[in-house]
Amino acid sequence: MYRYDEFDHQLVAERVEQFRGQVERRVSGELSEDAFKPLRLMNGVYLQLHAYMLRVAIPYGTLSSRQLRKLAHIAREYDRGYGHFTTRQNIQYNWPALARIPDLLAELAEVEMHAIQTSGNCIRNVTSDQYAGAIADEIEDPRIISEIIRQWSTFHPEFSYLPRKFKIAVTGHAHDRAAIKLHDIGIVIVRNEAGEIGYEVHVGGGQGRTPFIAKKLAEFVPKDKLLAYLEAVMRVYNMLGRRDNSYKARIKILVHETGEEEMRKLVEAEFAQIDASKMLEVPQAEIDRITRYFEPPAFETLPAESAAFNKAQADDAGFAQWCRTNVVAHRQLGYSIVNISLKPIGGVPGDATDVQMEAIAELAEAYSFDELRVTHEQNLVLPHIRLDDLKAVYDRLVTHELATPNLGLISDAIACPGLDYCNLANARSIPLAQEISNRFADLDRQYDIGELKIKISGCINACGHHHVGHIGILGVDKKGTEFYQISLGGSADEHASLGDITGRAFTEDTIVDAIETLVETYVGLRHADERFIETYRRVGLTPFKERLYAE
Amino acid sequence: MPNSKKLIIDGAESSNIWHFVDDETPLAEAPAIISLARLQDEGAELVAAGKKLGVILRAGEKQGEDVHALKPFLDNLAVVAIEFPVYRNGRGYSTARILREQMGFRGEIRAVGEVLFDQWQFMHRCGINAFEVDADVSLEAFNEAMDELSAAYQPAADPQRGILWRRHN
Repeated sequence: MYRYDEFDHQLVAERVEQFRGQVERRVSGELSEDAFKPLRLMNGVYLQLHAYMLRVAIPYGTLSSRQLRKLAHIAREYDRGYGHFTTRQNIQYNWPALARIPDLLAELAEVEMHAIQTSGNCIRNVTSDQYAGAIADEIEDPRIISEIIRQWSTFHPEFSYLPRKFKIAVTGHAHDRAAIKLHDIGIVIVRNEAGEIGYEVHVGGGQGRTPFIAKKLAEFVPKDKLLAYLEAVMRVYNMLGRRDNSYKARIKILVHETGEEEMRKLVEAEFAQIDASKMLEVPQAEIDRITRYFEPPAFETLPAESAAFNKAQADDAGFAQWCRTNVVAHRQLGYSIVNISLKPIGGVPGDATDVQMEAIAELAEAYSFDELRVTHEQNLVLPHIRLDDLKAVYDRLVTHELATPNLGLISDAIACPGLDYCNLANARSIPLAQEISNRFADLDRQYDIGELKIKISGCINACGHHHVGHIGILGVDKKGTEFYQISLGGSADEHASLGDITGRAFTEDTIVDAIETLVETYVGLRHADERFIETYRRVGLTPFKERLYAE
Repeated sequence: MPNSKKLIIDGAESSNIWHFVDDETPLAEAPAIISLARLQDEGAELVAAGKKLGVILRAGEKQGEDVHALKPFLDNLAVVAIEFPVYRNGRGYSTARILREQMGFRGEIRAVGEVLFDQWQFMHRCGINAFEVDADVSLEAFNEAMDELSAAYQPAADPQRGILWRRHN
């Protein structure tokens, strides 16, 4: 993975000192809360319901064991012994004291981490495919261009006070695990007919109160032109994006109001200007330097089959089941990709304790070339595990309650922090995720239901991605009471779609029964092997709606 | 400029010889910064009269005035002031870069409005060389802010090259 050089180290260290000065000026009263706000936000510090929250960037979701150990240490020393992995591949701490945050950031800098641009109206942490470099049929490891984008967008002087926040996601694989069509800019690495690698650029996707699937503005941006193209999109947005109404300030609204065709023309005109200067063409030597950090680790040459692995599966049904749900084929023979579910039955989606983080770091060090990933579905990944080692890894995970075999199943829900933490929320999300998980606790039933993505947001800002849940749940507030609105048929992958709202919202007491009704309806309607989303696309909303609102 | 402000140009405290003049007030001898609308209406006459001109681009309610409208007047403009109505409105950063890099403007680009400590370095990187700041800002504090980040990853309107480029040669 990428390692800082002296420039990276120096800039992050300077940023820590800069923020230390800002905190001091805030504490002394020289800075008002209003003036401090954009500064703390650009360093990932939010003011939540009960306390300050710090969001730490995990660029494109890649971590080393040393870094995860530091995150565990911070959970223990600066927080209440846990951290929360988010849908943007970041980690959040809910209880740090403001005055100690500069020290916390200095500790992060020791392991080449930071909280820069994890909030505020700037270019946020670049997200990517959690299987990068491990999955077969990848066109190119998306972390290479993600790292270049990370550097280009860090402390960008022109784009640090945008109309609104700005999120970029990259995938290097035809199967999109990074939800790129739901981002301000989504990049797909593609190969053209001449065999050259370039980028398909999608612009103006997003969720929130007005969700949009991104429009494909460019079919093929050549490799050396991408930063110029991105700068053109950003400049058009910074010049024309709305600043009169924060609900209409995201680029998705600009694209929608301007029209796809006109937006493409504006971007291309700006691109022509920037491209002519050549100044954003990154030297090949630098691309090569960054590429070397993402070269495949020293895989052993192994047979495709492992006798030890086969025997362990035959001996231990629980292990075999976990392998079926949580283990994915690797590009390298004899290896596998392991998903660690952070969704124990009845648990808080995405939370991990300091002890769990340390156990996972140890596994990464011992078995996965020191590498880890965070997924936007709030789970962790050990990307390179030998089949021979799977049982040992599984046993350790079981010890730490990290071996729930439910990846992609109904209990593997995304949930935003909701009313338990967030001052924007209308309703609680986490307790609802827990209730659904408990209701469907029986794993055999979950396997029978199959892949079903439930996504829960506690308010219209959609941090829990409800618009793209196979079943999406949105918390709404009606006269001081929490209600939950259901949508069906959303999807965040390469066939991205927005869910259809079923109708009248449900109360806290009836929402879980409603989910059960939907599941039963699906089970009754499905053809053999048909997933929920496929059945929904075949039959549409009506049969579900009829059952849901039947008297 | 109100008394509560001070002007820093190219890193030095400067007396302000330019005055903002509204659209109704006749122009006197003193150098004046006028609105874009007035520049468009009276610019040709003023140029003919041999006046050096300054203009302010206002932020506006929704989108702000378009820097490209200055094109016909560039040769006669000495000062372009860009209004930053609140720190979080960063449209002016793009305005400044377009003016410097695409329109080739070499005169003074002045940031006015809410122009705070933590913005100066980025503004400077975008081509702004004059800053209307609060009067109690010391030159020392200003220069300290300018040096907070010793390098930049990306190129902009200033001469420093991005780290992505500097690593090689």
